[in-house]
Amino acid sequence: MELFINLTINGLATGMLIFLLAAGLTLIFGLMSVLNFAHGGLFAWGAYAGVWLYLLTNSFIAGIIGAIFMGIILGFITEKWIIQPVYGNHVQQILITLGFMIVLSEFLKVIWGPNQIAVTPPAYLTGSWEIGNILIIKYRAFIIVVGFLMYALIYYMLKHTKIGLIVRAGVINKEMVQSLGINIKRIFLYVFMAGAAMAALSGMLIAPYAGVIHGNMGMEYAILAFIVVVIGGMGNITGSILAATLVGLIGSFMAYYVPELSLAVNMLIMAVVLLVRPQGLFALKG
Amino acid sequence: MRRNRFTDKESLLFLIIGLALFVFPFIYEDRSMLILFTQIFIFAIFAMSYDILLGFTGIVSFGHAMFFGIGAYCVSVMLKHYEPTMLLVTGAIILGVLFSLIISFVVGLMTLRLKSHYYAMLTLALAGLFLVAAEKWRTLTYGNDGFTFRVPEFFHSRLHFYLVCLVLMIIVYFGLKRFIQSPLGRILLAIKDNEQRAESLGYQVLHYKIIASIVAGGIASLSGSLYALSLRFVNTSVFTMDITLDALLMTIIGGVGTLIGPVLGAAIIELAHHWLTGLAKVHWIFERWLILFGIVYILAVMFFPNGIVGSVRKLVAKKGKKEDVSTSENIVKEG
Repeated sequence: MELFINLTINGLATGMLIFLLAAGLTLIFGLMSVLNFAHGGLFAWGAYAGVWLYLLTNSFIAGIIGAIFMGIILGFITEKWIIQPVYGNHVQQILITLGFMIVLSEFLKVIWGPNQIAVTPPAYLTGSWEIGNILIIKYRAFIIVVGFLMYALIYYMLKHTKIGLIVRAGVINKEMVQSLGINIKRIFLYVFMAGAAMAALSGMLIAPYAGVIHGNMGMEYAILAFIVVVIGGMGNITGSILAATLVGLIGSFMAYYVPELSLAVNMLIMAVVLLVRPQGLFALKG
Repeated sequence: MRRNRFTDKESLLFLIIGLALFVFPFIYEDRSMLILFTQIFIFAIFAMSYDILLGFTGIVSFGHAMFFGIGAYCVSVMLKHYEPTMLLVTGAIILGVLFSLIISFVVGLMTLRLKSHYYAMLTLALAGLFLVAAEKWRTLTYGNDGFTFRVPEFFHSRLHFYLVCLVLMIIVYFGLKRFIQSPLGRILLAIKDNEQRAESLGYQVLHYKIIASIVAGGIASLSGSLYALSLRFVNTSVFTMDITLDALLMTIIGGVGTLIGPVLGAAIIELAHHWLTGLAKVHWIFERWLILFGIVYILAVMFFPNGIVGSVRKLVAKKGKKEDVSTSENIVKEG
């Protein structure tokens, strides 16, 4: 029983971590119909910038702020220079964001070097609570909380604020919104910057969890995010959190019971979902 | 619709260059050059096969390394376990190709119904599965460490191997040229230009896409086999995304939708890789030569969607007739 609970908590934490990663991606895809293959690059940049600041100032909060700031700047650059020229053309979007991903991850190595950098959580998030035989690592609990907060925030923004209304309307009919005197281009830019900031933030949060950051982390984690977004249904934020939890839990249990399969299981789930229900497991009608 | 005059000139050019390359190793004897050129031929074959998908059918696959890896492992495992003879090598290559044909058929059947994004994702995942399988099936593949093997007597000479690769590249070039100029190839181009229109004309788009992916898969397997033979070593890196990325870069920079483009792209990228990493001793920035290609690649997608060859062709065509060479304009739109 304790084992079961421990595995569940681990799985939940991993799931939330993946959700953080996927939130920005699904936001961008769902609203702008851009599958951003550079997402992993934004994520890695956030991790590096945040960790750099964190190690420099010894303040975790400063690191988080730094990461978000980096995400916003990179999001601006990406949207303006990379995505805008190829709106509406999916093949070109795939190609160009992939190219940008290469540039981002190589540039990262130019600035911070190709070696791994070790990261530990700040003192107040180190250690764990023990309830009976159940061990709860503080940082994991922290991740779970942040994940839920993030979900609540996005959900509220999209469903209950005016900006969310505009964004959702803009997705359905860009011209209509434009004709109402709203600059939809600018709104999309903001959405992209928000998505990028989320990617960067998740990079920063994952760093102490993983213990190290390295130059190729972008692609590695991005694949996980893609998997979750596909399973959850692209652009569906609730689907994403469910899918992330599912992936996290399955991963956690698989790693314990069938470790040989744990690497492949995510891919397998995604492959099956794509084949059976390409619109995503939790996609709403339409 | 395509100006045959130019394409024939290109074939002639290709043939002349090919012949020059035949003579080259006899005039200029340099082992490292020989190996570099062999590498170019191998990747040219691979990039051409990729272009059948990207340039001629308009589908973006992220899992092309899958077939490359199958070819590589097929040859390597056979040579590891049996006495290396030419017959065995030929058999192993054919086996790899056959295996790839089957896999690409099954994969195509499953995946090609999906729209561009989903297709790209799914191919990425499937290639990932092969990578994991190769990592885990240690008794056969020795995991990430890989293994070395012996090659037949004939291939001990780098010159022989160079010539074989050259011949194969030329055969693949003309074979694929024939393929795309056939009525079937024309249908593929139609699908690429406008899938809905091709569908409404009564073509079973899925069938043709599967045919394209089978052809591409088989040829990719051939290049993978040659790659393993050239290294006399194989490890799981043949299944990684980097291999697919190489093909993508070569195709886009050289010229998507042309066959000579990927060959040129392969040459440019391999040569530049060779020289730039050589320059790493001069300045460390050259260690990160991929940045340069990333930037060139982005600019190419944005401003020169036809790559080097496509742009040159356009220039030549402008002189003659004012005709639009539509190559990489929007292909698959969702909805």
